[in-house]
Amino acid sequence: MTDPGVVFKDVWKRLPRRTEVSTLAELLYALPKRALQRRDEDGLLPHEFWALRNLSFELQPGESLGIIGPNGAGKSSILKLIFRIFRADRGAVRAKGRVTGLIELGAGFHPMLSGRENVFINGSILGMRQKEIRRKYDSIVEFAELGEFMDMPVKNFSSGMHARLAFAIAAHADPDVLLVDEVLAVGDASFQNRCYEWIENRRRKGCSIVIVTHQLHVVQSATRCLYLSEGRQVMLDEPAPVIDRYLRDQAELLERADAQPAASPGITQVQLLDRHERPVHEVEAGAPVTLRVHWKFPEPVIGPVVTLDLFHDDPRFLISTPGGNLAQLSSGDSLATEVAQGSGAFDVRVDGMHLPVGMYCVRAAVKAHGALTAAMRRDDALRFEVRRPAGSESHALIELAQSWSVVSPTESIEKR
Amino acid sequence: MKAARDLRELFSYRELVVVLARREIRARYKYSILGAGWAVALPVALMLLFSVVFARVANFDTGGIPYPVFAYIGLLPWQLHAGMLTGGARSLIDNRALVTKVYFSREVLPLSRALAALFDFAVAAIVLAGLMAWYGLTPGSGVWLVPLVLLVQIAFGVGLAMLVAGANLLYRDVQYVLQVAITIWMFASSVVYPLPREGWLRWLSYVNPITPILDAYRALLLGGRFNAGEFAAAAGISLLTLVAGWLWFRRVEKRFGELA
Repeated sequence: MTDPGVVFKDVWKRLPRRTEVSTLAELLYALPKRALQRRDEDGLLPHEFWALRNLSFELQPGESLGIIGPNGAGKSSILKLIFRIFRADRGAVRAKGRVTGLIELGAGFHPMLSGRENVFINGSILGMRQKEIRRKYDSIVEFAELGEFMDMPVKNFSSGMHARLAFAIAAHADPDVLLVDEVLAVGDASFQNRCYEWIENRRRKGCSIVIVTHQLHVVQSATRCLYLSEGRQVMLDEPAPVIDRYLRDQAELLERADAQPAASPGITQVQLLDRHERPVHEVEAGAPVTLRVHWKFPEPVIGPVVTLDLFHDDPRFLISTPGGNLAQLSSGDSLATEVAQGSGAFDVRVDGMHLPVGMYCVRAAVKAHGALTAAMRRDDALRFEVRRPAGSESHALIELAQSWSVVSPTESIEKR
Repeated sequence: MKAARDLRELFSYRELVVVLARREIRARYKYSILGAGWAVALPVALMLLFSVVFARVANFDTGGIPYPVFAYIGLLPWQLHAGMLTGGARSLIDNRALVTKVYFSREVLPLSRALAALFDFAVAAIVLAGLMAWYGLTPGSGVWLVPLVLLVQIAFGVGLAMLVAGANLLYRDVQYVLQVAITIWMFASSVVYPLPREGWLRWLSYVNPITPILDAYRALLLGGRFNAGEFAAAAGISLLTLVAGWLWFRRVEKRFGELA
């Protein structure tokens, strides 16, 4: 076996909850208190917490590790430890070769200076020699697609241009270990795809890659996945089972947090099926899907009316309707002549999932025809992600199904 | 040896020191009318101001040196000193975005500030040449030792900057205290007037290395008496400051990522 690219061995990392002292005057007051402070049996001062607890893993060259977990789980701390921005309090962290982070793209950009000047500055910060940057300069500009803008001050760049330039520089640093943190959420979809393609390419050439993101489809393409919670490893395995576990935990958490428990256990599961009827957790905007509602009813439901409410997890979408749901699928009268008895499933086919991109959670409810209240309800029955379709350059919320044509062009110009 | 490894690593970032210094100089002068002329403006203005004020108020014994030349030779290295200190003290805070996101030897930041201050120093030194020509002064025979004095001064300034930079990250009011300290320090050194060599204020000449350093500049440039013993002592203190500053910097450096 070759030398591992990244090694974590029993790593513990302590962080302060807040900066305790920030001025000299405060220090005067804090000194006597500090002298009396003792670490508790967990090794912590009163204002500290363990950001990471006893974490161990090894990453070989050519492996990519996706890290998922709720906010504050310690995901970014892992990246900062590999990048030597943090030092481990216990245990050891090792990384082989040149480590480059796409942690905050363009952190060293100076707004007043031109794109060209910033290439040389940022490249140098990432550990490149000036000679090396001169050699790669044309290739960097080409990758960023910023040919004629390179003499413009960076402050006049759009956020997309900014991200493109920053990524292009980092891409040319030839890292042995590459750290990616959410940053690729900026920039248009085609650029994002090119970034992920490039990352995948680097991996095949033997680069170790660590990715922190909430975009589950990105994690899905990693070779391994680490699920963190409160600084502890929950699961470390291939992405599919880890993501499943994560989504299950998330749903459970929401269920517990919900003051109103599911009214009855009648709806056992809701699944999202792709066009090949495979259960999935993500779908491209506009793709055809089927939602399958599994049930097990204690007594028959006559003329069932099935309703699925879809909630976007971005709170900005909550204000759009009184119920807070962004979309609704309802069977209405279409199942009025049916009787649901024992166990089975309802299927609803959606020809095109034209929903805003993002994470969704689904509330399912079934009631008898004519009844006022739902007989069965399940609040967080399913979570899934709607993704921007590959190749889409749009920043708009909704991708519509569309086809274009030209109708007597000469005439319309004359009219103007 | 850990220190040797750290030094090697710092050496591998030598280009970054230059790149960051250049970034600072460019950004500072790119959108200003005078451009690098600003590096000259401050010491010249101070020189004129002190020439007018002190010519009326007091008549210092400058050892036969025309007062404007005396003051400018003092102000020029003093500006460098103050620039290295204030710039160095702020270097970590100003580059917080870098310190918390990217790894490189952190010494690069105060060093690049020192280099940028040195650029201003070099530009302003041109005026000194003109000033000496105007008064018909020729450099003394020891002028070739001036780079050595400059080196000692840089060692002292960088050492202090590293001491303060770490402290400034921990306690944000250090830079304000520093401003006051620098102003007092200037008048407690032989920047714009010679310090009394006897009487109860005599000790001022010995406690801080800046006075022997300034006196050395004057002696070597204008052919006065070069007090080698005093300068050697100042050089010793400067080197100690550099070592102590670096050791302290390395101690606190591990936590920069969390503090900034």
